[in-house]
Amino acid sequence: MSAAIRNLRNNPKLLFVRLPNFLSFLCIVVGVVWLLLLPLNDYSRKTYISENALLPGQVHAYFSGSEQNVFRGYKQELDGLLNEGRERGGQKDDAEVTSTVSGKVQSIFLAVGLKIATQKYEYTSAGITHQGENVYAIIHAPRGDATEAIVLVAPWKTADDELNLNGVTLALTLARYFKRWSLWSKDIIFLITPDSKSGTQAWIDAYHDMHPESVQPLPLKSGALQGALVIEYPFDHHFNTLHIVYDGVNGQLPNLDLFNTAVSIAGGQMGIGSNLQEMWEHKDSYEHRLQTIFRGMTKQGLGYATGAHSSFMPYHIDAITLQPKGHGWEDEMALGRTIESICRSLNNLLEHLHQSFFFYLLMQSNRFVSIGTYLPSAMLIAGNFTIMAIALWLRTGYYLENKPKAAAQPKDKKKSVEPTAQAKGNGVEERHLALPLTLVVGLHLLGLVPLWMFNTLFHQYFTMATYIFVVVDIVLPLLLAALLSNGLGPFAPIIPQQYLLIKSFSLLLLGLSLSTLATLNFSLSFMIGLLCAPLCFITRLRTSSAPLRCSVSGLGLVLLNLLSPPTVLLGVCWYTGVSVETVLTQAAFGWDVWGMWTQVVVWCVWWPAWLIGCVLLGSSMF
Amino acid sequence: MSVDRRKVAVFGAAFVLRLLLIGLFPSLPDLLTGRVEVSTPVNSFKRLQEGLFLYTRNVSPYDGGVFHQAPLLLPLFALLPDVRSSPLPTAIFYFLVDLVNAHALSTISESGQSIQGKLHSAVRKHIRWDGVSVAAWFLFNPFTIATCLARSTSVFTTSGILFAVSNAVGGNNVNAMLALGFASYLSLYPALLFIPLILLCYDQRTQNPLPNVAVFVAQQGAILLASVSGLLGLSYLITGNFWEFMSATYGFHLLVPDLTPNVGLWWYFFIEMFDSFREFFLGVFWLHLASYVGGMTVRLRRQPLFIITSLLGVFAIFKPYPSISDASLFFALLPLYRHLFPLMRYTFVAISVLLYSTLLGPAFYHLWIYAGSGNANFFYAITLVWSLGLSILLADSIFAALRDEWEQAHPEAQGVEVKQV
Repeated sequence: MSAAIRNLRNNPKLLFVRLPNFLSFLCIVVGVVWLLLLPLNDYSRKTYISENALLPGQVHAYFSGSEQNVFRGYKQELDGLLNEGRERGGQKDDAEVTSTVSGKVQSIFLAVGLKIATQKYEYTSAGITHQGENVYAIIHAPRGDATEAIVLVAPWKTADDELNLNGVTLALTLARYFKRWSLWSKDIIFLITPDSKSGTQAWIDAYHDMHPESVQPLPLKSGALQGALVIEYPFDHHFNTLHIVYDGVNGQLPNLDLFNTAVSIAGGQMGIGSNLQEMWEHKDSYEHRLQTIFRGMTKQGLGYATGAHSSFMPYHIDAITLQPKGHGWEDEMALGRTIESICRSLNNLLEHLHQSFFFYLLMQSNRFVSIGTYLPSAMLIAGNFTIMAIALWLRTGYYLENKPKAAAQPKDKKKSVEPTAQAKGNGVEERHLALPLTLVVGLHLLGLVPLWMFNTLFHQYFTMATYIFVVVDIVLPLLLAALLSNGLGPFAPIIPQQYLLIKSFSLLLLGLSLSTLATLNFSLSFMIGLLCAPLCFITRLRTSSAPLRCSVSGLGLVLLNLLSPPTVLLGVCWYTGVSVETVLTQAAFGWDVWGMWTQVVVWCVWWPAWLIGCVLLGSSMF
Repeated sequence: MSVDRRKVAVFGAAFVLRLLLIGLFPSLPDLLTGRVEVSTPVNSFKRLQEGLFLYTRNVSPYDGGVFHQAPLLLPLFALLPDVRSSPLPTAIFYFLVDLVNAHALSTISESGQSIQGKLHSAVRKHIRWDGVSVAAWFLFNPFTIATCLARSTSVFTTSGILFAVSNAVGGNNVNAMLALGFASYLSLYPALLFIPLILLCYDQRTQNPLPNVAVFVAQQGAILLASVSGLLGLSYLITGNFWEFMSATYGFHLLVPDLTPNVGLWWYFFIEMFDSFREFFLGVFWLHLASYVGGMTVRLRRQPLFIITSLLGVFAIFKPYPSISDASLFFALLPLYRHLFPLMRYTFVAISVLLYSTLLGPAFYHLWIYAGSGNANFFYAITLVWSLGLSILLADSIFAALRDEWEQAHPEAQGVEVKQV
């Protein structure tokens, strides 16, 4: 051991160049392997209800029998109105349909004896206007003081843009049914929104008085919201499983207890199986578990709203969407009973859901890993950049391979005035920080340009803008590299030490942004970390033979360009078959309406780091 | 008087940058005003607004227990137009204060006092930044900009301290004491800088028989006392109730009743403590803070300006209500010691730690307060890391200053690696 340490001390090349490379690589490998180990039984746990007050499935659900006739009646009335609208103006004439149908919904709520209110909203994003009118009704708790409430949401359009007629009808039937019970200790709010994307967002923003001017304030409010359930039932046949969607905006998740309650009530009380992350055939094998985790991580990392429930999460209101799926023998009454039972459980809550986990990865409806187990994998990947940054910093101070060359360039003033100055320090090389600092900070600020551009352009230009950006990403690094090598403005041509410093600062910023991000959105940090991993091992090549250097760095640049943000976007779009315009329109909508900040990470963390990597590699050509 | 074009460019750029920031992001000042890292109970602009509201309606500003700042700020801000309808004049006023502070800083730097004092002469004199660079370092520091945009009243304390120092290095000890009096009147803790400031003033005396030390100290002390009591008298005229404002301002500083989270170390400790121990630990914490004055003064007697710099670092860590404005003042004075940078050993570590905590602090505060998925320990852990980063930087700079003194005494040992002396 001591021999190895002595060996290290005597061999600076090993200590400052090889060892950090090895450590960084090791961190990445361990980080990835760590994630791959999570689905094993030894590293994951079975879910359990942590909040005892919830008592899931301990009450009998009475929603059945004659309520089904009410359901059919409501459905017929609404269906009639919808058909009328369709006959008159077809699907196009949405406004007409909406106003008559919304009037009907209001009259049903009024007939049941609830207070109702409406809210109009309008959002404009990427040149598209989204508008609509929310209708909501409140059951005042007979045993409560209107300080707490539960929300039941039924959007007219599901997350997949299907007409949610059964879901809305079920909400209306439940409203009538719940009104008759005297056991509620929390208010119950029934919210009917025109769509799953913007309606709930407008409503929840206005509920907390955080709405923009284009959204009306709410005339009627209740207490603090304790939980929200979204009901979707967009088809007419019977179903066999319940698909539970739980991802929120920016990768925030609802308390695990809410999810567990839904699973346990559906499975234990109603005998309905539950699915998650669109895994219809889950065999509980390693592959399926891993696939579920990956799907969850993708949604979390991209940070978009996966349903009407997602908008609740930023306000610390736990919410899930229940989607019946498949063909089976469960009917709308079974779904209604499930919802009734979940509402009864939420009604039992003495305080806001807080007992269980907020950070978890689910791999099966009854198996999860918590943050303590999975966080190290993203932290290791973020840490690899920091390790490299520290190593590069040390290397610039203590060990430069081509020392005579560096000393032969006494262009800097301080050096020429007092050439012995550096020797008089702590035996530490003087570092020239001004240019590297300016460059790194400047390029990070430059990221604001694409950020602004991709959030304000009109949607029809998105595809073109992406291709333009691919070209910019090819040209810009070469241009910068040429400028740096030949000197620009007040700066003298760059010296070799400064290349290392640029890399060090860029990796330091990347490492610390990613480790901060890992605490907020693990998946995004992990994905960006993996995409940036090659940047750690890229340096300016110093082979003496120019053709070799040029060809190797050219090849490297081509490979790096395959990993640039716009190219990755194009690649993913090609792979999944979604158009670039759709993705970017959705992203701009997320930025404008949901408060999604995935773009900030892409353009102000990933892109600058990538650009600096390319500049370093490109500079070997000059 | 020739106008220094570089200085004008730097000051102008700093002004335009601030103007651009509030122009492009109109909600930024209010966002920053609400951040616990920037606004503490004793410098928050929001609380000042509350006090101002009461004051302009002839109610005692200290009613309601929200406002804890010096009463003289009230007539000053009552002169400015209402912030909600026209925020620009107040913002520009703060920008100007920042520029004035930067000017004082450049004066300190130009005096060369940090390099060549009466009793000490740095070994690496050639490594230094001129006044404009030091001012630029201050003006473009993100912490300074954040403090300025958040309209924290700490900037006035900063002005007081910087003017005290700039007058002291200029040999103008009456003005120095008046400025220190102003700073102490605003925030109390600058009074601890009295002793190093006296040393700094005393070292500037050039008349041949040096004045008697005791007489000199007594004279300066009297000036300080006179300025403070003058300001207190004015405050009495404004508020009309002497003890009410004394207990609401200085009592608040001393007894630390408001435990709103901040970047310091006190709030969590006093939240956790049983009430019966509170008085004892208040005493211990204050004693701890004050004890640095004696130690530093004795050990670094030959470099009084460095004592002030490092004490400001100590205050930024151990004050009851520290904010990033205190750290920015410490960072503003550090570049005066550019010649010590080659001797410092942990700059990269310290700066990385500070950067990490700067990013993680708001993230963890968000997890705690907004997302509800974290708790107070998250944020407290980061304030510990922040204080650790500042402590490393401070300890490292003190090490470098001592090493510099030692190298001056042992010229043969320059650049030699020394393990123990």
